[in-house]
Amino acid sequence: MENETKQAVQNTETEENKVTASPVEKAEAVIDKNAPAPKLKIERFSPRQLMELDACTRCGECSNWCPAYDQDQRESLTPRGRATLYKDIIGRQHGMFSADSLLGKITGKKPVTIAEMDDFAKDLYACSTCMQCHYVCPVAIDTVELWERIRETIVDIGHGPLPDQKALTINTKNYDNPWAQPRSSRGRWAKMAKKKKRIKDVPKDISKKSAEVLYYVGCTASYDNNVEEVAINTTKIFEHSDVDFGMLGSKEKCCGSVLLRVGDKVSFDRISTENIQQFNDLGIKTLVTSCAGCLKTIKMDYKKVAKMNFEVKHTLELIVDLIKTGSLKLTKPVNLKVTYHDPCHLGRHAGIFDAPRELLSLIPGIEFIEMERNRENSRCCGAGGGLKSGYPDMQNLISQKRVDDALETGATELVSACPFCYQGLQVGIQAMDAPIKMRDITELVCMALGDDDEEKKPAAEAASEAK
Amino acid sequence: MYSNKLYFEATALLYTLSVIMVLIVIAGMLSCVTLWMKGKEPSLHHSLNIPAIIKSFICDVLLQLQILKISFIRWLMHFCIFIGFMGLLAETSLMAFMSHFLSPDNFLSKTFFDYQDGAGAHILDVWGDVFGLMLIFGLMIAIIRRFIIPAKQLETLSKDTMSLVLLLVIAITGFFCEGVRLMYPEYASVASYSFAGNILAKMLEAVGLGLIDYKLWVWVHAIISMIFLAYIPFSKAWHIFVSPLEIVIDASERA
Repeated sequence: MENETKQAVQNTETEENKVTASPVEKAEAVIDKNAPAPKLKIERFSPRQLMELDACTRCGECSNWCPAYDQDQRESLTPRGRATLYKDIIGRQHGMFSADSLLGKITGKKPVTIAEMDDFAKDLYACSTCMQCHYVCPVAIDTVELWERIRETIVDIGHGPLPDQKALTINTKNYDNPWAQPRSSRGRWAKMAKKKKRIKDVPKDISKKSAEVLYYVGCTASYDNNVEEVAINTTKIFEHSDVDFGMLGSKEKCCGSVLLRVGDKVSFDRISTENIQQFNDLGIKTLVTSCAGCLKTIKMDYKKVAKMNFEVKHTLELIVDLIKTGSLKLTKPVNLKVTYHDPCHLGRHAGIFDAPRELLSLIPGIEFIEMERNRENSRCCGAGGGLKSGYPDMQNLISQKRVDDALETGATELVSACPFCYQGLQVGIQAMDAPIKMRDITELVCMALGDDDEEKKPAAEAASEAK
Repeated sequence: MYSNKLYFEATALLYTLSVIMVLIVIAGMLSCVTLWMKGKEPSLHHSLNIPAIIKSFICDVLLQLQILKISFIRWLMHFCIFIGFMGLLAETSLMAFMSHFLSPDNFLSKTFFDYQDGAGAHILDVWGDVFGLMLIFGLMIAIIRRFIIPAKQLETLSKDTMSLVLLLVIAITGFFCEGVRLMYPEYASVASYSFAGNILAKMLEAVGLGLIDYKLWVWVHAIISMIFLAYIPFSKAWHIFVSPLEIVIDASERA
């Protein structure tokens, strides 16, 4: 997908919506970088969030766990360093001792320069928003909410996001997906799968025929040829059960996660409002998604935008329900030795740790081995929060660490429940040429249903597996 | 009433310094709080969950079990500093309140100050020594972790060092006050209660220091304590107030 990201950037650059340089980049040649930076919009925070900057005790426990700092030992990359730097910046811009106040002048406070702000912004985006820092923080600072809000203030003044991340946000705004793919081809995977007889039928268009469950596919599974298996397998599983489901096809839009994570709150508010309106009008009971990032965004971030008249579940939660009610019967043994990677957005963010493990225990034949770092302390794959697009080399190294964790278990299959983690971990597996196979959890369910059509998979996937 | 004789000399200078200290504390707090209040988004997304707040206050703020989960040594260090500091602050506050706001005939004053008759006076002697030793023990671990065998995640700023040094000087000068007090013959009978102060008194005698000016130590102790208290809103020690607030708010929001 790294290639796809680059392709997305290229696609964007070739069309009318070129990636524009940030104000800082434009100004580099003509403006003195020591000039004062624009003032941050401090009103974007809650009082609690500004208090959190004071609540950090600088104990440094976060730096022991931060996946970015693990790869690049600079203090400014740690959550502690970020909080300290930002506190200093807003203090000099908005505090009682601000550089332009009398007290600030007396105490010799200097204005925040463009160069300082630029450096801060670059390091701010070297974060996968994995939320590990919140779980290990003795003060329980709500770190990711804070980082995302800080990113919003940085975007406000034109210092963020980073150029490659900006390409994704522009694409999302213009194409309703970050990969600059046409809206009309969003449901192409289903048509191709039907043509190859991998699924019985293209899921019904829920905007025309009502259904209880909306399967929200998400951008990555919809457009990435290597990850569309997640969508195909999910559809196959639903076809095996009696669940009344449909999807939006070309009318589905990005959930807006990429916008929110990199700080483009204005665009996120627009797309989330449109999505909530669309979902509410469908009259569904449940929205399910196989993407942890979409789940976190729709389940947890949308509710801060507007009310929703349906529940939100990850696909694997629904599958567990279907198995328990007898609607789905897993009968074929899957004799594989697997380990499970908790996606950050599913685990730490949404608190879903038990359901995937329960599902694995319901699949006959599976030998499940936990990695040493699991559940709340699961090591991030580095794909989220814009890190993969902003710092692909760092993401690659972070991913390799996680693959190492998996290899230590002796498992032959690395299982997860998120297309984005699938991509992220695949990067590490390929870089290491590791003897472990990346699988989405839905693939194992299909195998247990006896519906594992290996020969019908895309050539690229088959070649990768053969290797 | 040894308290009036030695401990609390309510001079105009002491009051003036106290008022200045309080004004600086208020200004520092206002500086922080006014900055927080510039945030306009809602702080809470759910109504307050009182049981979660109480549980979190006991487990995470008072007992600090979340630190114990990470490391016993770190918990021991922080717990000793926290309990030691709070214990001494409570003792000082109690004594200041009684000596300045209660008459010598008041029941509390007679119980806690009159060391000849008041049983409570001995409690205060033990209290001061126990919490003072806890504070010093915790600070010694902190100093070892920061400067002698540095823990890899620590990054020390001048603010971190300043808070540690001030607290250590406060604790040590506090013991010197007590040690010198016990060198006065009239206080020999309470020496067994003030066990650590008594050891220090004997050490001072052994090195031939004899009776050092007691008031000098009290003034040094009082002024450094006031500097530390005034420094709190601008220092790492500000977390004493802010971190517990964040801990209980987070517990309530996630409940």
